[in-house]
Amino acid sequence: MSMEEQDILRSAVIEFAEKNIANSAVAIERTGITDDLAVSLAAQGFLGAALPTEVGGAGIDRQGYAVILKELASYSPSVSVLVLITGSIAGRLLEKKADSLLGRIATGEESFAVSLWPATDGSGSAGELKISGNKIRGTRRYVIGRPGGCLVAVTDDGKLVLVKSGFSLSDEDHHLSFRGLKYSVASIDSAHYEVISSNGAETMERILSGMDLEISAIALGIARGALAKTVDYTKVRKTFEKPLKDYSTVANNISRLMSELSVAEIALQGSGEMNETEMLMLKVHATDLAKRATKYSLQYHGGYGYIEDFGVEKFYRDAVGLTILLENQAADGMRLSKEVFGEKSGYL
Amino acid sequence: MDFEFPEDIVKAREKAAEFARKEISSNKALMYDREEKFPEELKKKAFEYGIVDYTNPWSMLVTIEELCRADPGMGIAATVSLFGAEVIMLFGNDSQKTKYLGAVQNGEMMMGLAVTEPGGGSDVAGIKTTARKEGNRYIINGSKMFITNGTMADFFVMLVRTSNPEDGKRHHGLSTFIVPGNLPGFSRTKITGKLGVRATNTAELVLNNVEVPAENLIGEEGKGFYYIMTFFNISRAYVAAQAIGIAQGALDRVLGYLSELQSKGASSTITEEIQMTASDIATRIEASRLLTYKAASYLFQFRPNPTITSMSKAYAAETAVFATEKALEITGYSGINGDLERFFRDAKIMEIWEGTSEIEKLIIWRNLIKEAQGGN
Ligand SMILES: Cc1cc2nc3c(=O)[nH]c(=O)nc-3n(C[C@H](O)[C@H](O)[C@H](O)COP(=O)(O)OP(=O)(O)OC[C@H]3O[C@@H](n4cnc5c(N)ncnc54)[C@H](O)[C@@H]3O)c2cc1C
Repeated sequence: MSMEEQDILRSAVIEFAEKNIANSAVAIERTGITDDLAVSLAAQGFLGAALPTEVGGAGIDRQGYAVILKELASYSPSVSVLVLITGSIAGRLLEKKADSLLGRIATGEESFAVSLWPATDGSGSAGELKISGNKIRGTRRYVIGRPGGCLVAVTDDGKLVLVKSGFSLSDEDHHLSFRGLKYSVASIDSAHYEVISSNGAETMERILSGMDLEISAIALGIARGALAKTVDYTKVRKTFEKPLKDYSTVANNISRLMSELSVAEIALQGSGEMNETEMLMLKVHATDLAKRATKYSLQYHGGYGYIEDFGVEKFYRDAVGLTILLENQAADGMRLSKEVFGEKSGYL
Repeated sequence: MDFEFPEDIVKAREKAAEFARKEISSNKALMYDREEKFPEELKKKAFEYGIVDYTNPWSMLVTIEELCRADPGMGIAATVSLFGAEVIMLFGNDSQKTKYLGAVQNGEMMMGLAVTEPGGGSDVAGIKTTARKEGNRYIINGSKMFITNGTMADFFVMLVRTSNPEDGKRHHGLSTFIVPGNLPGFSRTKITGKLGVRATNTAELVLNNVEVPAENLIGEEGKGFYYIMTFFNISRAYVAAQAIGIAQGALDRVLGYLSELQSKGASSTITEEIQMTASDIATRIEASRLLTYKAASYLFQFRPNPTITSMSKAYAAETAVFATEKALEITGYSGINGDLERFFRDAKIMEIWEGTSEIEKLIIWRNLIKEAQGGN
């Protein structure tokens, strides 16, 4: 997608977000993404942006998709992750399925939830999920997505399965990040299932490592959302009779973070030219930046930064959650050092 | 120089740790966090157990550490019901001490300290709430923001403006009052949706022509700023102890997680990077302790050293944030689904309340330059 096309798309996403997300961002955190919002996202072509047109998606390229993810994340990281789960996870896992499931997910009629375990972090205890004959039963933790639709998870014996009914999602898992989505434990009681892949862990890992650019976009959106609020706030908030922005520590810290962000955004815009390694490098930079930017943003909002209503603390939580829930930092470290040193490195 | 605590403080720490083991569990902490509920029962038990005793400040310091190590929200809630008491202790008259201090010291009453306003917390001299003298009473108007124990406290030590600063010195003309929470015109609204320390009670207070008897003035009119700064010099050492507790609690959980990995034969996943990060956390905790105990040592011998106190508060707070963030990175899913995500959310308040990290650093600078210029 050309720069001009990206700019037009960006304006459209911002217009949508101003109308549909800005005023309900706190409500999204408290009670979740509503069906109406999911349907509106779909109607605009954002929910299924990355899905092929044959299944009702918009068939947009990666740069365009990144624009959507980034701009939505700057209003609500949860909404952006919903689009990611739909486009990058459901899209890739269910692409070979002949029925119209993916189409229904693209239009928001059907919701989709997934446990990325063990790709993100195989060491956690994720419950027991076993296949016996033509039925599946047990629990799987770390499920992210909207309830009420279908579920994809890896079984104990490594199969990647799709379960369309006969399960429930309870939110007993803790809830640091992406509160607009459910982050839950799936309980499956003798349900029918379909095997998507017999090597589930590998498939999941491939999907995860194929999302570097998309995760970068979300991280940069988080940083942009937090810093934009902070620039506005520090212009009007006064201490000792002077606006906060007049203090050199405040101004310089925010400005330095803004420069880092702008450079990364330029890289993201030109990502059409990037190879896999560069995308990984951008992700490492973007996720680290998101953590630092959100920490300063919360801090410069003082007590108000600590309260949900001001919409800054969610960025702080989500920046950290992003690196745990949607990436595997240990694996990324190994991938990166292998590229840098040209051979396996950094494992001791 | 002896770095060991005397026997009675060691015992106080053990007693607090024992109490925490009995009364604070992950499940309870999760429930109070989720429901944003104050652990009334825990607070009551802490008094019964004899571990909340601010007349023994060293014991209190290590007790706060141990309780916050078990859970920051519950630990703070159990020990914060006397917040602001030192103002009355140091500057109140005998009748105020008799009427208010005894009751908060034995846990029958709860109090709060109301300084911050919607318009600002760092700039204490910039507060807008006023008290106007009429006969033998004062009429208070204004509002206070983010006040701990806000909807529960029986009374507050409140900073208000009693006269305009004549000489342009904004810290002049401020006074402190004891303001009961049930007076007509005094409304209190609980603030929900905090990032962390959700077991503590926080509120916005609005005072609309609230009449307070003149006898509730603490110390002298116009000296309020000085009283509050003196108080912060004390309370910051306790906040540093909260922060150390949080960081230590995070380290405990990291070590528990890594030990389990080791015992499962997965030592190879504990890379050098993880080992060194754990060492960094431990080192910073130890450094925070040394600074805090040094600050406390000056303080509890009645010769406070505001530079060291601010250093300890700022450093311990940064350590709590650093430790909890690193702990989450190391423990991944397990941490995010356990106590650590709560510790991470709780830790950030340490850099904000009772003097943000920026304000602490400005205090340190002011003292440093004053000293460099010969103390003038
Ligand atoms: C959960 C909670 C409980 C609290 N409990 C109490 C309580 O019991 N009683 C009470 O009185 N208050 C309480 N507070 C308020 C707290 O003390 C204040 O939030 C804090 O002092 C900061 O004030 P502020 O929020 O107005 O931020 P501001 O003063 O507006 O500051 C905003 C940001 O600007 C920074 N800043 C300010 N001046 C400068 C400068 N010159 N240079 C660089 N940076 C600067 C600050 O460090 C901060 O990061 C509580 C707050 C919370 C969130």
